[in-house]
Amino acid sequence: MSAVLEATRPAAQTKTFGKSTREVPHHSQKAKKWYPAEDEAQPKKVRKSIRVSTPRPSLVPGTVLILLAGRFRGKRVILLKNLDQGVLLVTGPFKINGVPLRRVNARYVIATSHKVDLAGVDSKKVEEVGSEKYFAAEKGEKKKGEEAFFKQGEKAEKKKPSSSRAADQKAVDKALLATIKKEPMLISYLASTFSLRKGDRPHEMVW
Amino acid sequence: MGDAEITASSWRLVEVGRIVLISKGPSEGKLATIVEIIDHKRALVDGPSTDTKTACPRQAVALQNVILTPLVLEKLPRGARTGVVKAQWEKAGIEAKWQESSWAKKRQQRERRRALTDFDRFKVMRLKKQARFEIRKSLSKVKAAK
Amino acid sequence: MSRLTEYQVIGRHLPSEANPTPKLYRMRIFAPNTVVAKSRFWYFLMKLRKVKKANGEIVSLNVIHEKRPLKVKNFGIWIRYDSRSGTHNMYKEYREMSRTDAVEAMYQDMAARHRSRFRSIHILKVVELEKGDDVKRPYIKQLLTKNLKFPLPHRVSKAAGTKLFAESRPSTFY
Repeated sequence: MSAVLEATRPAAQTKTFGKSTREVPHHSQKAKKWYPAEDEAQPKKVRKSIRVSTPRPSLVPGTVLILLAGRFRGKRVILLKNLDQGVLLVTGPFKINGVPLRRVNARYVIATSHKVDLAGVDSKKVEEVGSEKYFAAEKGEKKKGEEAFFKQGEKAEKKKPSSSRAADQKAVDKALLATIKKEPMLISYLASTFSLRKGDRPHEMVW
Repeated sequence: MGDAEITASSWRLVEVGRIVLISKGPSEGKLATIVEIIDHKRALVDGPSTDTKTACPRQAVALQNVILTPLVLEKLPRGARTGVVKAQWEKAGIEAKWQESSWAKKRQQRERRRALTDFDRFKVMRLKKQARFEIRKSLSKVKAAK
Repeated sequence: MSRLTEYQVIGRHLPSEANPTPKLYRMRIFAPNTVVAKSRFWYFLMKLRKVKKANGEIVSLNVIHEKRPLKVKNFGIWIRYDSRSGTHNMYKEYREMSRTDAVEAMYQDMAARHRSRFRSIHILKVVELEKGDDVKRPYIKQLLTKNLKFPLPHRVSKAAGTKLFAESRPSTFY
């Protein structure tokens, strides 16, 4: 180790001072005369990493879920696919309870033991909807400055559901609706919302 | 002086042969018979039922954690071992008597209700509503006829 | 899970040239664990013989299990106990399923009645009373009467999930 350092180290010079000669080390090899007054801030090393998420065993595609948070809280929906990082792709179906194809956090969901057969559902379509870019917001032009200021009084144009989304919704729900219709009371079950009543103990319930 | 009428109290007694339902502890919900009284707070019980749901291993339990049932194994000797208890248990048909009792039926029903899933609960709610509607309908018909 | 365990501890004086085979001493000791059991062995042996831990050794230590833990037995326990004002000998009886249970009940009983601690009680003897006639104390005798039966009056049954406020008083008839 030291031999290697020896080789890379810049050579020392021999200098004469009056009568005597002395080896003077290269200036880069000399000890510093002063230390920096301020400590240099070292950036902290990030030791976090994105881990592979494993969904709960109860979250099998086809399971009826109860949503616990968000706009559709209390709704009973059907799980279509487990996406990355604990995200679930669900559908109402839209015609039954108004819940569209939607991504939800797996933490804010209760999985019931009832399962709907997903056979016949267009798996390619589900794959496409589950891809990262599908739900990305469109980058529209933003009106700036004066123009936007004067437009405040007027009502902004209402966002309309895009027809391609509606078509996707229909394509996915079509086969699902057919299987749901076969089981009695399942339609009204999915249409109803869940809520806790007096005396209900959610931790002791069987789902 | 008039004769005093003396009637025995209808209290269920802690006695050898009394069938008890264990209400607390690891063998909660199990059926057993008192084999021997240890003291005024504890008893040695044994439940040699063939049904694993109600069978209770021989153990000492506090009478606080026990509910006395009206069933009694008559003539059970004090401190009888499991073989004797089992023979008497089967001879008296304790299992069948217990299952017939409305107490056991109620317990069973409660257990069944508790095991219902979310969808089953919804179905029960719906069917109850339908039944109620039918009853109301016929009642109003009777009322209108009067 | 009982608090105490019964141990058999065998120990002796260290062998020397004068006495290459010293006498073995055996004790049955009730203790929460083996460490305490060994400590109690030396404590008692020092009182009885001229052997201490520094010049002695423990030959063997093993647990004594109850032979019939599913039988109700009556036990008589002789103890020596240091009260605040002096030392007393006592005889007490307990109705339990095992010797360790009886000793545990004795410690609890002595703590309740006399505020005595573990350190102030020496157990002299624990004996199973096999015959009913051997039972001396009336509080155990009353449990040996033929066809013993009694009710459990006045109990409030507390079912799980009951409401905080009740609209009617509880029925304590049982």
